[in-house]
Amino acid sequence: MILMRDRRPEGLTVGIPQGLLYHRYSVLWSAFFKGLGITPVYSGPTSRKVLEEGAGVEVDETCLSAKIYMGHVKALIGRCDYIFVPRVDTFGHFRDMCVRFQALYDQCRNLFRSTGQKFLTYNVDGEFGITEEMAFLELGQSLGFSKGEVKKAYAAAKKEEQRAWREKLKAQEPLLKAGGTKILLSGHSYVLDDPYVGKPITDFLRSIDVTAIRADVVNRELALKKSVELSPTCKWEVSRELLGGIALYRDQVDGIILVSAFPCGPDAMVNELLTRKLKDIPLLNLVLDAQSGAAGVETRLESFVDIIRLKKGAL
Amino acid sequence: MKQAYLGIDVGSISTKGVIIDDDNKILSSAYIWTEGDPIGASKRLLSLLEKQFDKKNYRIVATGTTGSARKLVGTIVGATMVKNEITAHAVGTTTFYPEVRTILEIGGQDSKIILVENGVAVDYAMNTLCAAGTGAFLSSQAKRLGIEVEEIGEYAARSEHPTQIAARCTVFAESDLVHKLQMGHPREDVIAGVCNAVVANYLNNVGKGKKILSPVVFQGGVSKNSGVVAAFEKALGCKVTVDENGHLMGALGAAILARKGKGRRPFDFAVEDTEFHVREAGCGRCPNNCEIICVYSGDKLIDAWGNRCERGAVH
Repeated sequence: MILMRDRRPEGLTVGIPQGLLYHRYSVLWSAFFKGLGITPVYSGPTSRKVLEEGAGVEVDETCLSAKIYMGHVKALIGRCDYIFVPRVDTFGHFRDMCVRFQALYDQCRNLFRSTGQKFLTYNVDGEFGITEEMAFLELGQSLGFSKGEVKKAYAAAKKEEQRAWREKLKAQEPLLKAGGTKILLSGHSYVLDDPYVGKPITDFLRSIDVTAIRADVVNRELALKKSVELSPTCKWEVSRELLGGIALYRDQVDGIILVSAFPCGPDAMVNELLTRKLKDIPLLNLVLDAQSGAAGVETRLESFVDIIRLKKGAL
Repeated sequence: MKQAYLGIDVGSISTKGVIIDDDNKILSSAYIWTEGDPIGASKRLLSLLEKQFDKKNYRIVATGTTGSARKLVGTIVGATMVKNEITAHAVGTTTFYPEVRTILEIGGQDSKIILVENGVAVDYAMNTLCAAGTGAFLSSQAKRLGIEVEEIGEYAARSEHPTQIAARCTVFAESDLVHKLQMGHPREDVIAGVCNAVVANYLNNVGKGKKILSPVVFQGGVSKNSGVVAAFEKALGCKVTVDENGHLMGALGAAILARKGKGRRPFDFAVEDTEFHVREAGCGRCPNNCEIICVYSGDKLIDAWGNRCERGAVH
């Protein structure tokens, strides 16, 4: 934890690695730091170099996205006062995050111990009643800001996050009404939104005139409720959002693609469950790893879309 | 002058080609090994096709390519249709077997299942990351047992008590196989066990959760192995049809797709004598360092691909 009760610093810079939860919280984090007068420094888009650098330091058995994350952390070493690595354990009962997010802060500190880089974190842990707001309060106060200042910055950042999220939801509405082939993409935002891993998928689908709908771009509260239709016992927050998104959107699309970064623990359970439960709609299980060239992915995507179009008599 | 259509299927192990007429009648066909040289194999294939082809009465007006080297070979032969092998196999098989419900396909490095309803492919699955239970596995095990891969069927047929071989993973299957041999199991029984393992692996991985209905058509290189065919019939409890042209189904599908497609471009056998070469270049304009493939006819660049963005575009 951040125990250095520094005097409130001037011109502080905080590095934000553009991997994993960045894709979920980018608006919140950026707005919060800016609200406190801190300058965020970004690691830049994922590239092959970022992945290779990350794979070089991260434990072999972790998922592709975790390796990419470490590459982003490495790219920020020495470029900022602190690197920001949150710990998000759980939001409450049946609302867990992957263990990766519980360990991330400790892991980064240990992996980059020799660099002398300072890290910054916040800790959300529903099991101990620590909410997101409490976590941010502790983070801000540890940097020397007053409780009032931090509360204000958090409230403003939260508002901006919610506004951005509403816009994202609104932007998807017309896509659901579009004609032609519509495919629901179900995967973690850090896979689908990653410029190196996920973007080639959405780019390729666009090139063959497919409208891609995102299962995670959904009213989250409603999705959590709806998710029990597919699994009443799934305990992972993000997986439950995806399950709910699938339950809500499945009737409006021609097929579903489950995109997973190898070897993802929650996906290994949840996608297996979905393969067994979703019988009445074409389903593609797409597993991405560091080795897979674009060709294998394109073959799978193209043939999946062809089958859907053959079925509709539109090929 | 009647119209004809050329279909070429360039796989990792073998290269297949057909020329058909408007009624899908095969005018010319050939099957050779790729031997790691898709361009050379395609040229040899074309010269074999040319020998059987009646140039006086027929003219090739459209060309389709499929298989893992479809793009490269499609560029060289000036294809009017470049399609993935799943679609090509589905179209080829349903043309010759309109009543088919399930297509099983095991090739050198891929395995697939295609489910058909009313002559139209409605669902499919493909092996994900692992090549367990494909032709490559059978070849390596035959080698270990000191027999030719073509002899597997003959050996398996003699077995009365096939040995149980762990089928989950190639690595475990191989160590289990060695163990069983050392324990004194007869070779015939172990070979029959390997065939059963391939089938069990296929049904548990690719065929998982799919309802396999009769009639079943089995194709791909492994379908030529009678031991695996017998193991499939036993596991599925129904007849498994292997077409004498089963190995050509991808090429046939490509030719049929070329016929159905809009593109028309007369094909000239002169490409056999044209010098093609391929150069791989690292783009180097960003940290992705995309591997760009440049295809030259003589000194002229005819096509290039592999770039993730405009920076790597070659003109």
